[in-house]
Amino acid sequence: MASATDSRYGQKESSDQNFDYMFKILIIGNSSVGKTSFLFRYADDSFTPAFVSTVGIDFKVKTIYRNDKRIKLQIWDTAGQERYRTITTAYYRGAMGFILMYDITNEESFNAVQDWSTQIKTYSWDNAQVLLVGNKCDMEDERVVSSERGRQLADHLGFEFFEASAKDNINVKQTFERLVDVICEKMSESLDTADPAVTGAKQGPQLTDQQAPPHQDCAC
Amino acid sequence: MAHEVHLDSLKVVEQDVILQVLYRDQAVQRIEEERIRPVFFDSLDCRRLKTQLQHLRWRGVKGPSTEYKDKCCARCQRVLGLLLNRGAVCRGCSHRVCSECRVRLRGTRVWRCTVCFEDRNVKIKTGEWFFEERAKKFPTEGKRETAGAKLLQSYQKLSTISVVPPTPPPFSESQCSRSPGKLQELGQFKGFNKSVENLFLSVATHMKKLSKSQNDMTSEKHLLATGPRQSTGQTERRSQSDTAVNVTTRKVSIPDIVKFLRQEDAKPSPGSVSKQEALPPISTPPALFSGGLRHGSIISINSTCTEMGNFDNANVTGEIEFAIRYCFKTHCLEILIKTCKNLAYGEEKKKKCNPYVKTYLLPDKSSQGKRKTGVQKNTLDPTFQETLKYQVDPAQLVSRQLLVSVWHLGTLTRRVFLGEVIVPLATWDFEDSATQSFCWYPLRAKAEKYEDSVPQNNGELAVRAKLVLPTEPRKLQEAQEDQLSLNGQLCLVVLGAKNLPVRSDGTLNSFVKGCLTLPDQQKLRLKSPVLKKQACPQWKHSFVFNGVSRSQLRQASLELTVWDQAVFGMNDRLLGGARLGSKGDAVVGAGGGSQSKLQWQKVLSNPNLWTDMTLILH
Ligand SMILES: Nc1nc2c(ncn2[C@@H]2O[C@H](COP(=O)(O)OP(=O)(O)OP(=O)(O)O)[C@@H](O)[C@H]2O)c(=O)[nH]1
Ligand SMILES: [Mg+2]
Ligand SMILES: [Zn+2]
Ligand SMILES: [Zn+2]
Repeated sequence: MASATDSRYGQKESSDQNFDYMFKILIIGNSSVGKTSFLFRYADDSFTPAFVSTVGIDFKVKTIYRNDKRIKLQIWDTAGQERYRTITTAYYRGAMGFILMYDITNEESFNAVQDWSTQIKTYSWDNAQVLLVGNKCDMEDERVVSSERGRQLADHLGFEFFEASAKDNINVKQTFERLVDVICEKMSESLDTADPAVTGAKQGPQLTDQQAPPHQDCAC
Repeated sequence: MAHEVHLDSLKVVEQDVILQVLYRDQAVQRIEEERIRPVFFDSLDCRRLKTQLQHLRWRGVKGPSTEYKDKCCARCQRVLGLLLNRGAVCRGCSHRVCSECRVRLRGTRVWRCTVCFEDRNVKIKTGEWFFEERAKKFPTEGKRETAGAKLLQSYQKLSTISVVPPTPPPFSESQCSRSPGKLQELGQFKGFNKSVENLFLSVATHMKKLSKSQNDMTSEKHLLATGPRQSTGQTERRSQSDTAVNVTTRKVSIPDIVKFLRQEDAKPSPGSVSKQEALPPISTPPALFSGGLRHGSIISINSTCTEMGNFDNANVTGEIEFAIRYCFKTHCLEILIKTCKNLAYGEEKKKKCNPYVKTYLLPDKSSQGKRKTGVQKNTLDPTFQETLKYQVDPAQLVSRQLLVSVWHLGTLTRRVFLGEVIVPLATWDFEDSATQSFCWYPLRAKAEKYEDSVPQNNGELAVRAKLVLPTEPRKLQEAQEDQLSLNGQLCLVVLGAKNLPVRSDGTLNSFVKGCLTLPDQQKLRLKSPVLKKQACPQWKHSFVFNGVSRSQLRQASLELTVWDQAVFGMNDRLLGGARLGSKGDAVVGAGGGSQSKLQWQKVLSNPNLWTDMTLILH
């Protein structure tokens, strides 16, 4: 019986949920850690060794398919340089998720992670999803930040952690897809744990006295 | 938390770069709103229906008898049983619903009633869930107002101030020019008269359309000189859709006006110096150049060759009727080619014409970007009724121009050009049904302004320049002079422009920006007011660059760019630019600098005298 209802519900589900929506993602971190390169690798599958420091902000749009859904990502690439800070922080509030990046060959960029995380806490919404990314993991010879330190810091800050390389295309796609997934999780959480009084308000009179324990299974 | 963000602390070049990003973002947001709007309407319809049903039900009930309500599904009003088919309470709205009115959430065993489910979908689709969450922390934050929109607003406030003509220069026009009437005449008639050989100053600038597709995010960065690595980065960071920047020196001749003014040190030899050379493009995405390198002279428009192989030109007459549509859902751009009328004969002598229509989405002129209709036989008024389609990302559209050209197919596949129309899509409103209907467009002769063709002529700009020095510096030493003339001025009158790439309606809201780069890289910028709805704007606006000395200017360069003001919140469109100056920059390189240098020297070595010139815009 349960399987019969399941399959019926399943039909409704698939026909209804194949729509698209938009997530905004922000990439932050010190200058030259490879934010722009990371985005270029993801969006264009290109890489250049030349460094063109980002002016202010920039973005790219990429549409992906995730769990049958078409999701449009507007990925904002921010300038790491201090002088653009007022502009870049203005974008924090519109972002659902963040990629916080440091360079594994650059101690200073790693030390700045804490500050960047504070910026997120200050300027973004409370449930901002953050992935910590140690970029340039192709440069093993010049590594100064061990994976272990990266992971520990991520744990400490409550972020997920990846080491990646824009140059060698390591973990780039995975990072974005994981971020999309965690945003999706947050979204479901936000929608499904919402106070019924709020969601139901528009539907008519409240029947608070009927708030029964969840009836997961169909009783009919 | 509502701190104001400004762009004004940044350099103007940076502002320009950022602004282009903001405008691109605005385009994305508009598409997003377009997507969301029907979602809202659907949900409203749906909800209205449901609540109506509900109200019906409530009305039928005398008194809020919960027991009774329990007996009925809140969604479909089906009577619920006491033991069987009892229904269950939805966790979203706390209503009891029957099993038919439940939808299970994906990947879970949790369900919601149909109304709650729909509600949830709307919140996901519109991003409402995020705004609700965010409102917990920033209750005053406008829902869909993005940081970009705010920045744009604050910038626009600023720029309306700067658009106002600069404060009256200490040397007004009458002070500056000895015989203003005469010069005015010269500037307007001689300067603009095509039959008069003008001093064509052509420096291929590295400036290009700033309205870039999203794939070109760093392509503008070469405008900035912030670091030594920059110059190497600029070319490599380009994406496929970017166009190559080319450098050409063109035909240069001495204008009558210069002779008229009988400048003492008229070094350039009279007559015309013709020189034509082209540097290889900086980046050559193969797809864009499948037709091979194409160079042509801008002077003789008819001798241009834009395609692989040769073609002939007929006199261009007639019109073409077509419609442009874009489907945001399928990302499909459709050009519905209907008819042409009054075409010229492809082969005049034989009175033959077998017309067909071809389109490109410039700057892409690769064969993949080509679409053709069938060939109609022996007619000057062909009817095609064909739809040519492109698959193109919405964000890409703004950076594209639709080129529709008409050709005659002769014997031995000889092709004759019959005319063309260029529609810049940046200003096209795809959401307006009026712009989607069929329109007649007059056919035009081939204009050398495609972004991928080597020489770009985007019209001519007539200017008049003069260096004003406080003292008569005739026999003064340069060093001495500099001390006296720290308050020198470069006066420039931007008279007008013509042959600009106009909008589809044949007009422009144009303005001119002037940027004087001094040897210390300091940049002085001025902007003219906007002249609305004119194809051949006559700004007659004077730019005065104060506090410059002659020796500074000897190593300075002056960049003049003509812009079409933004419409529908799109980017200001760069129509073309020209550079004057002694120092050809790195991009201009070996080929470009000399003529511009000459012209510049003319101005500098004749203080307090006007020099008129017509600059070719690229
Ligand atoms: N070896 C290696 N080099 C990288 C990698 N990612 C980026 N780089 C190089 O690092 C330099 C800086 O990269 P960008 O992506 O421009 O840095 P950014 O973080 O965007 O810098 P700002 O725009 O100034 O904030 C460039 O020279 C890149 O080529 C990587 O994964 N491996
Ligand atoms: Mg960058
Ligand atoms: Zn029901
Ligand atoms: Zn419900």
